[in-house]
Amino acid sequence: MPTVIACFKWVIDEAYIRRGPSGDLDFSSVDYKIGEYDRNAIEEAVRLKEASGAKAIAVTVGMPEAAKGVKDALSRGIDEAYFIADSSFGNLDSSQTALILTEVIRSRIEHYDVILCGEGSSDLYAQQVGPRLAEQLGIPCISFVQKLSLAKDQLVAERRVDEGIEVITAPLPALVTVLPDINVPRIPGVKDTLMAGKKPTAKIIKDDLPPLSEPLVRTISLTSSRMERSCERFGTDAAEIARFVGSLRKKGVIG
Amino acid sequence: MSGVWIISEKRRQSLELLNIGRQLADKMGTHAAALLYHDREHAEDCVSHGADEVMLLPPLAGEEPAESRIPAIAEEAKKGDPDLILLSATPRGKNMAALLAARLNVGLVSSCTQIDYDEGSKTLVMERLAYGGAAVQKVVCSARPAMATIPPRTYETAMPKSGRQGNIRELPSPSSSAIKVIERKVKAKEAKDISEARVVVCVGRGMEKEEDLTIARQLAEAVSGSIGCTRPIAEELHWLPEELCIGLSGIQVKPDLYLGIGVSGQVQHVTGIRNAKVIAAVNKDENAPIFKASDFGIVGDLYDVVPKLISELKK
Ligand SMILES: Cc1cc2nc3c(=O)[nH]c(=O)nc-3n(C[C@H](O)[C@H](O)[C@H](O)COP(=O)(O)OP(=O)(O)OC[C@H]3O[C@@H](n4cnc5c(N)ncnc54)[C@H](O)[C@@H]3O)c2cc1C
Ligand SMILES: Nc1ncnc2c1ncn2[C@@H]1O[C@H](COP(=O)(O)O)[C@@H](O)[C@H]1O
Repeated sequence: MPTVIACFKWVIDEAYIRRGPSGDLDFSSVDYKIGEYDRNAIEEAVRLKEASGAKAIAVTVGMPEAAKGVKDALSRGIDEAYFIADSSFGNLDSSQTALILTEVIRSRIEHYDVILCGEGSSDLYAQQVGPRLAEQLGIPCISFVQKLSLAKDQLVAERRVDEGIEVITAPLPALVTVLPDINVPRIPGVKDTLMAGKKPTAKIIKDDLPPLSEPLVRTISLTSSRMERSCERFGTDAAEIARFVGSLRKKGVIG
Repeated sequence: MSGVWIISEKRRQSLELLNIGRQLADKMGTHAAALLYHDREHAEDCVSHGADEVMLLPPLAGEEPAESRIPAIAEEAKKGDPDLILLSATPRGKNMAALLAARLNVGLVSSCTQIDYDEGSKTLVMERLAYGGAAVQKVVCSARPAMATIPPRTYETAMPKSGRQGNIRELPSPSSSAIKVIERKVKAKEAKDISEARVVVCVGRGMEKEEDLTIARQLAEAVSGSIGCTRPIAEELHWLPEELCIGLSGIQVKPDLYLGIGVSGQVQHVTGIRNAKVIAAVNKDENAPIFKASDFGIVGDLYDVVPKLISELKK
């Protein structure tokens, strides 16, 4: 029975980030979510499980608050979770995250066939935790995959490259990063949410891990990029349409 | 040893990277080198556009993926010890950069939009977007070499100069990869480049059917503009080519006018239109985020509004 691991990140929902008075980021009314594209990684793990009777495991590194995300992942059809939590895990760089995942997967998950990552995390969108993890585990990495199937000892994947599509075969175990068009993530129902509470979660704390590495990319500042626009509204009757077109002409942006 | 390296497989992208690469090398008082895939003519081109040295990788056997070049590149980078390695932020460029950064165990700044060299502290300060584009993140790499991927068209191509000299040499053959390419499906056609378009009409998921793209095309014609789209239109529905997707994971546009029809205006998309002079939108939901990012917004059904706009524009 194959084992499939999905890596996901519990992130700030960027739609709620406001611009503070001095161009800083105002996080005071934010909400959290499983990263957009990590939902595709989770769905693909569950899809492979349903197609081949695999076991689907989810792994996440985050702040203790990400417990909500673990429950969310379990309600999406994942069988069991590894939750690596510490209050200092909110601002890791991709290399640190990849090292922690490597350590946990290597030491606790005896056997696995496929590791799935999203195309990129919704907050950092560094698009590198997957390739770094694969490199450290010494397994092949196939990025930007839009179609995936498992055969006996290998996987077949369609990945996006500059010229179009490449169909790839790779021996197992292998790591795959998925594009959003690989599947449509399911929306968990009430029953799924109730079931999620009964599924096993292994919690791993910082002390269980080797000392944290230094970040390879250091953030020196983070500022809001939002821009002010005039936000003028128009209706749909003939006069309003004429006024709208008139406004564009006045700005000199159309002939 | 030191230097600024660019790694590229396409002519235009290599010349863009050489532009910023050469500028940085001059500031840093070091040389610029280009690592290319087996194209001699292209190598000479890179020399006249600013490369002091060109390293050529031999061609790959049919089934071998681009990744089988990673070990040879990593070896060369260990020997040459460059200060900085730049690649283009295309799908393959991003993949190669991430694998190389992992192999070298160094930092990689993805989709970097600006690089400055601070001569006082001798550090490279790079900028990129975070939180879907809601934030600008300034970063520094703490290991050598620093690495970055740069979105195509962030920089102009370098200017050629006659009489430039450079050393061209071949690198060892690539190794064999565990991954095999069993089929290559080349895109039917290259899409029109809209990064310089003066007017862009952008189609969002508010459009119900592929056939309805006709009305977007008619609108684009009425304003002498080009068609662009949001990511779901290109990637989930495949109605338009990926090159027309505007935003964080697509392209940046800087038209005089951006006109979004049926676009919700999530931050990842709006990030790609920030440099538009005027942003206008048609959306039936008065609370759609696009209205906060627009100068002019029409709250209404695009199927009602767009035909009216076309006839008004023709007046
Ligand atoms: C890491 C990351 C990177 C991303 N990169 C990009 C990117 O580069 N580019 C990009 O576009 N997206 C990107 N996205 C996705 C982005 O978050 C949004 O999901 C996407 O932009 C939404 O596309 P849309 O506006 O077409 O669709 P929707 O969000 O579904 O919006 C459709 C809109 O149409 C309106 N509408 C419906 N019917 C009508 C009608 N009849 N008349 C008028 N209006 C109507 C609705 O009110 C709605 O506002 C990214 C996401 C992530 C997480
Ligand atoms: N903290 C994390 N915990 C688990 N998986 C992660 C974490 N951060 C990133 N990932 C995975 O790595 C992918 C790429 O992340 P990034 O390199 O940050 O863009 C994400 O889509 C996730 O699948």
